[in-house]
Amino acid sequence: MSTWDAAPLGSPPVESETLPRPVGPLGPISWAAVFVYAALIAWGLYGHLQQEHHGLVMTNMRNPGMGGASWGLGIMMYIYLVGLGFASVTTVALIHFGRVRELEPLARMAELLTICCLAVAAIFVVLDLGRPFVGLWNLPAYAKPASPFFGTFTLVVAGELFASMVYFYLDGRADAAKAAKVGPKPFRWFYRLWAAGWKDRRIERRRHHRAGFLLALVILPLIVLAYSTLGFVFGIQGGRPGWFSALQAPGFVVLAFASGVGALIVIAAMMRASYAMHDLISLKAFRLLGNFLCIATGVQLYFMAVEDLTFTYASTRAESALAQEIMFGDFAPLFWFTVAAFVATFGITLWQFVTKRVHVGWLVMAGLLVNAGALLRRYLIVVPSQTHGTLLHYEGHGMYVPSVWELGAAFGLCAVGALGFLLFMHVFPIVPLSHPLEGDEKSARAETTGRWWFRRAVATAVLFAGMIVALVGLLLSARVGTVAYDDPLLPFSPVIFIAGLMICFLAAVSYELFPPSRPQSEADAA
Amino acid sequence: MKTMRRALDWSRSLLHRLLGETAPQPGRRSFARVLAAVSGSLLGLLVLPRWSRAEDEEEEPSGPREGDFKRRWGMVIDLDTCTACGACAVACKTENNVPFTGRDPLREATAIQWMTLLPGELQDEAFGVESFTFPLPCLHCEDPPCTKVCPVGATYQTEEGITAQIFDRCIGCRYCQVACPYSRRYFNWGEPQWPESYRNFLNPDVSTRPKGVVEKCTFCHQRTRDVREEARVAGEVLEDEAFRSLPACAEACPANSIVFGDLLDEKSEVRRLSRSSRAVRLLESLGTEPKVWYLGRDRREDT
Repeated sequence: MSTWDAAPLGSPPVESETLPRPVGPLGPISWAAVFVYAALIAWGLYGHLQQEHHGLVMTNMRNPGMGGASWGLGIMMYIYLVGLGFASVTTVALIHFGRVRELEPLARMAELLTICCLAVAAIFVVLDLGRPFVGLWNLPAYAKPASPFFGTFTLVVAGELFASMVYFYLDGRADAAKAAKVGPKPFRWFYRLWAAGWKDRRIERRRHHRAGFLLALVILPLIVLAYSTLGFVFGIQGGRPGWFSALQAPGFVVLAFASGVGALIVIAAMMRASYAMHDLISLKAFRLLGNFLCIATGVQLYFMAVEDLTFTYASTRAESALAQEIMFGDFAPLFWFTVAAFVATFGITLWQFVTKRVHVGWLVMAGLLVNAGALLRRYLIVVPSQTHGTLLHYEGHGMYVPSVWELGAAFGLCAVGALGFLLFMHVFPIVPLSHPLEGDEKSARAETTGRWWFRRAVATAVLFAGMIVALVGLLLSARVGTVAYDDPLLPFSPVIFIAGLMICFLAAVSYELFPPSRPQSEADAA
Repeated sequence: MKTMRRALDWSRSLLHRLLGETAPQPGRRSFARVLAAVSGSLLGLLVLPRWSRAEDEEEEPSGPREGDFKRRWGMVIDLDTCTACGACAVACKTENNVPFTGRDPLREATAIQWMTLLPGELQDEAFGVESFTFPLPCLHCEDPPCTKVCPVGATYQTEEGITAQIFDRCIGCRYCQVACPYSRRYFNWGEPQWPESYRNFLNPDVSTRPKGVVEKCTFCHQRTRDVREEARVAGEVLEDEAFRSLPACAEACPANSIVFGDLLDEKSEVRRLSRSSRAVRLLESLGTEPKVWYLGRDRREDT
């Protein structure tokens, strides 16, 4: 059997001599997908080069006050994709805090989805700048905490993406060690590098369990905080009708949970059907995700009703006029489709919850609907307040529809993320082969062998060093007591803040990877 | 010591050669002379400028001069006398090198208008609804929302209260444009364009802005800077009259409807008019405290 041979469909992966599908060579459908993605990327590249050469005049964004929207598809997609990052947070939180074993097979695909989405989202927001290269220099040099973009730039792009990658890396070490023995030969060096000496000992599993739990404990509030800063981008703007609302930040977070879980349901169903993973991904996992989606969509509907009703009765004419425009004017088809999508999602998932029956097809439909609704909801937040939300009597209301170049760049970037996901799952098991947590959470008592105290001391020192560096970076950037637009006390202070955040997360890596003083005894082996 | 002396001799002989003289024989006396010359020169360099500066200062007037105290710029636009002729908008475009957008449909709604004319309506119990058109520059708010949101500090408030923009630092995120409640910021969606014949007439005092940055009215900062600098050099303090029509829009206004000046100057016309009962500011409820006031219609003749 060659190293690229895959195991038979549906075979139990752990006992197999090879890595389970889809690891291995690309099949005809995968190749077709690669070609489609490559075509989309080429279109996107050409579209972006057009924008780079002629300027953002190639987009359909225009000046607010002249009927245009200064922010369009780029910002919409950024918000939407960062929201999809909640897929991994939900899964990780449910696994670690809720001890939901059924979701363990979905953990890696959720993490990979998060990493791909956040990486693509970061590129989206950079390419949406008028001067992307100046931005890449000036943002690290001068970013100010007074601007909500600071949180976007530091917490989302650097903090959340890096934290997800750390979790993904640590969680994959056990499988990497297995893949180093039975995986495709050309990639074994990569598996060995990833495994970083994982011997699958009980003590290692315990350590991983503890580190994963602590990481999940940090990632959950971080991602909620980071995503809230995106809500603040709009929520603190009193000068644009429809934006100034305390519900923006929590509304963003709830919709992100819904869309992230919806996307995870769709991807898990595709994997299950494509690679016969019926035994691995159980119906109970879908039922749990469906229930979670039901709650998130219900809360989202409630927030929508509260927010839109408040705007309808708003005291200022501009606010109520905009609400009328969204509900019964130019944006009415989009608005009511969004409402219908959320209601349908809620209905499907509620029906499933009440009857305790699971139908994956219906859940996939719910996942697609909630994502379509989430995208349109982003559009309805971003665009109408600019095109129809001028407080002075500017003449004419416009309508923002993305240009062919914008659509090209958007599809191209999404294709980059999808291609990354596709290629990765052909190199590394997308469903965990081993379950490092299995049976160990109860015995996760304090380790007493080797230099355990030194390991903990180093990890704690790294954590505190990171916190101090982050605090120093934040204080240097913020310059407390000065006006909002003052430069950082030290150039590139925001980079110090980001570095501090990253060092904090590296504490988990140091805790797991810190070399033992002497070889572990055989008694420790699993 | 021997090495030092050799080095000194060498440098001394080099100096003499450069001056075209014959190098004297090295000796203790000559070393003392060189030392005296060098220390004398150093002393001269240190003392002379101070001495000359002291003489200069004696010549200068002892009273205050331009630049010694703070100014806070503001503007008042009288809608009663404004004829909406648009001269202010044209003058602003010319003075500040505002690009032309022409009639290219692709560039529709990409036009840049630091000063624009906007229709407005005034509802009055006695006179009903009255339509009018008013000039609208950047209002240079005292508490500008745009400066708070800029992620890189490319827009800020100067000490004189002008909301300024650092074009070189702007990354083109357009957050300031979205945050401005008055929509008074403009983005360069493409390369700025002017007719070829017009390029020779661009104002050298104002930089042109590249594509991808946001730009806005500066209250013709270059003009105030120049007149104040001249006055400072001359040791004068400028009176209110010198500022009243200083920005290009105020200078071009045929009806003198636009008055510019220092809001901190108790004798200034702009301060007096801004406190008139006819004075209103746009969207005052937002709390941005614009430094541009509009004078409503004078009803005394109507009644």
